[in-house]
Amino acid sequence: MENIQPGAATLALPPILDLTAAAALLEEFLTQRGQPLRVNAGDVQRLGGQCLQVLLAARAAWAADEQALHLDDCSEEFLAALDLLGVASKKLTYCKEMSS
Amino acid sequence: MDPMAAIRETFFQECEEQLAELEAGLILMESGTAEAETVNAVFRAVHSIKGGAGIFALDALVRFAHVFETALDQVRSGTLAAGAAVLNLLLRAADVLADLVRAARENGTVDEARTAALVVEFTQISNLGHEPPLTPKPAPKALAPAPAWLISFTPASALYAKANETALLLRELRRLGPIEVALDATHLPELSELDPEGAYLTWNITLEADCTEQAIRNVFEFVEDDCQLNITCATPAEPALKPGDVITGDNGFSFEFFPPPVFDDEEASAAPKAEPEHHEPPPALTAKQNPVEAMAAKAESAAAVSATIRVDLDRVDRMIDLVGELVINEAMLSQRVLEAGIARASGVAMALEELEHLTREIQDSVMAIRAQPVRSVFQRMPRLVREVAAQTGKQARLVTEGEGTEVDKTVIERIADPLTHMIRNAIDHGLESPEKRLAAGKPAEGIVRLSALHRSGRIVLEVADDGAGINRARVKEKALENGLIAPDAALTDDEIDNLIFLPGFSTASTVSDISGRGVGMDVVRQSVVALGGRISISSRPGLGSTFTLSLPLTLAVLDGMVVSARGHTLIIPLGAIVETLKPKAADVFPLDGEINVIRLRGGYVPMVDVAASLGYCDEFVEPDQSVALLVEGEGGVRAVLLVDAIHGQRQVVIKSLEANYRAVPGIAAATVMGDGRVALILDVDAVVKTTRSELSRPELSLAEAR
Amino acid sequence: MSTTVLTVDDSRAMRDMLRHSLLAAGFRVLQAEDGLHGLEVLETERPDVIVTDINMPRMDGFGFIEAVRRDESRRSMPVLVLTTEVDAEKKNRARAAGATGWIVKPFDPIKLVEAIRRVAA
Repeated sequence: MENIQPGAATLALPPILDLTAAAALLEEFLTQRGQPLRVNAGDVQRLGGQCLQVLLAARAAWAADEQALHLDDCSEEFLAALDLLGVASKKLTYCKEMSS
Repeated sequence: MDPMAAIRETFFQECEEQLAELEAGLILMESGTAEAETVNAVFRAVHSIKGGAGIFALDALVRFAHVFETALDQVRSGTLAAGAAVLNLLLRAADVLADLVRAARENGTVDEARTAALVVEFTQISNLGHEPPLTPKPAPKALAPAPAWLISFTPASALYAKANETALLLRELRRLGPIEVALDATHLPELSELDPEGAYLTWNITLEADCTEQAIRNVFEFVEDDCQLNITCATPAEPALKPGDVITGDNGFSFEFFPPPVFDDEEASAAPKAEPEHHEPPPALTAKQNPVEAMAAKAESAAAVSATIRVDLDRVDRMIDLVGELVINEAMLSQRVLEAGIARASGVAMALEELEHLTREIQDSVMAIRAQPVRSVFQRMPRLVREVAAQTGKQARLVTEGEGTEVDKTVIERIADPLTHMIRNAIDHGLESPEKRLAAGKPAEGIVRLSALHRSGRIVLEVADDGAGINRARVKEKALENGLIAPDAALTDDEIDNLIFLPGFSTASTVSDISGRGVGMDVVRQSVVALGGRISISSRPGLGSTFTLSLPLTLAVLDGMVVSARGHTLIIPLGAIVETLKPKAADVFPLDGEINVIRLRGGYVPMVDVAASLGYCDEFVEPDQSVALLVEGEGGVRAVLLVDAIHGQRQVVIKSLEANYRAVPGIAAATVMGDGRVALILDVDAVVKTTRSELSRPELSLAEAR
Repeated sequence: MSTTVLTVDDSRAMRDMLRHSLLAAGFRVLQAEDGLHGLEVLETERPDVIVTDINMPRMDGFGFIEAVRRDESRRSMPVLVLTTEVDAEKKNRARAAGATGWIVKPFDPIKLVEAIRRVAA
């Protein structure tokens, strides 16, 4: 996490990431784009396919922009949902120093 | 009762309601006065019965209801015109449906030939499919178990839009066996081009499970048309299910996959709306020409439903009991206050009066809760009329009035039988055959008019026919034959008419099936009397007869005259009392036995010493020392009751003696008085009858009607 | 917390039947007598799954599902249709209205419970 400053922008994910949350989530990422971002997934209870799409596309966008994207404090439910959907949590983060 | 039996019972109760609604609706349609909602309501009634019957696997009922419902649906959508013939068929179908419901309820049987014949008629009028939808379809062939399945799953956005969810589907899949999920995100667009509610991902799943392909497809049963799904296995599978295929369980349970969603966005705007149900019909169509089409034309304006709640009858009954207690307690309190010598104008007395007023109002309101319109009973009658008319070869039409007249539930349950008899009688004996009617210059179709109204605290039910009226000569002859009247008896027309209520009386030379074997009007009268009611008939030759049945509005309270006899307080139902009088010794004449008669306006009426008849004492009271009440029992039977004093009239709450003690001859029920003492309610008819049975004077023979 | 199911059906027998089966499966059960009543219940309750009939007085199942979906927060609420209707046109209407699944009676309580578990988050 050394490549993100403590004061960097953060995005707290809402508990329910289903159909009704996807549009707002996308909006959040579009707003925060162009800077390092810490995403807090501590409250997530539920993750659906469409919000997963947003997370994956965001990760790709941050990588394309060469900005760091970190996942903090993942809830158990969030990790379980990622596992179910066939996504390793590290696939959602991007670090400039890939070796870190 | 176990829960399933209770639910089953609820279902059958609901069926009865639906059947009543169905028939009422069909009759409205027949008369051309149906409204837009009527056809829908009729359809729903049959539909609900079918649905419920499905739960309890009542196959015969389901099958018939389905055929019936299909026809109604065609009527509803306007593809089947509801002319007279069709409505006739629908009405008969309603009767058969009712039979099927009752057969199912009582595990009875039905006339299967009749049912089958109607099904054939339905197919003829509407080219219905013969195939009931709920017959179990052959289950898809099970596949050989395979160790590993490869599943490729690509959801469409419509899948999410219907609140289905990939994560949940994968969770279900995992319940079949261990899964390995590989996500293919190659089609995911750039963040700025992403539609948040689009669908771009494909999941490739390896499932290790000893299950059938069907088991896997079942997981996707709601979404198969909203996704691309490929399932492969090491051994070649049978042809996969196509979208639109139905998955069926062994009990007929089935899921159908929705057709592809693509049409939603693209075609909805391009294609014109193709929903036949919503097309506007020519406004020129009048309800008279084609009521049903006109109805269907109107918008689906659901009639405003007044808010109602269902309450367990036990609760209402309990409340009525409690309010009864309240009335008694209030009366006791009044009595105490009176005894304490508190002035009438005092605050206590005035507050008490207020309380009394409130108590009465509460009582009336509570009684109103249990009051029901007679509609539920009236609704059963059209079918009866159709059946009896068909059996007797007569043409009859039922006209009802005052269906909304309310009466206590305890009474309503008991008027159906007498009404049924009266109506049977009206058609069987009252109406003439079509030929005779035409010959008499009447329309071939006879009219039976059933009406209900409130009159002086009672409900009056009338069954009138426009038939030939009572053949008095024949009735009198018959009564003489059976020794019911003396040869020299001088009877008024009315008295002759009412002879038909005598036991065993029947003018028909053969006992017909219709009016009931051996069940004559005397039995009807007896059951009516048991309810505190009275029944009579009036007739006009050539114009018809009218049965009049009058009943108390409730069996819970009674207006009575408080009297005392040898220190016992008794209540005499007010309805039975004609007048009160002070007997003179000169008017009293002893008869044989221990009976006295009193001369009253030129006639003689037997006297009954109430106390003696109830066994309170052995000596008779001196007539001129007592108060006399002229009472009239059923069939106009009169007697004079002797009591010591009259204490005024009041409403009393009826307490069943049978329920609280045991039945006592001469006593109808009991009540609790204001001073807390129990008072007995006199059974006037029983008292009159016991005394009268000792008499044999010809002019009194009418008294032996019971 | 147990899964909450709202059943919408105008038949009391059907409601009782559903209630009995769903309670036995450990669900919390809410009941409504028709679509309008269902919407009233939704004003104060947030069930995990709705099971609705189609043919009902006042507001039928189609109108009810459409009304549910019109509310942004209820777009992801699963709505299962439980009906005796087998007509394809009706199914398409339910689907267009946003029904999550279509179950044809006579329903098997076990299958219904399974279907509810499948769509409930």
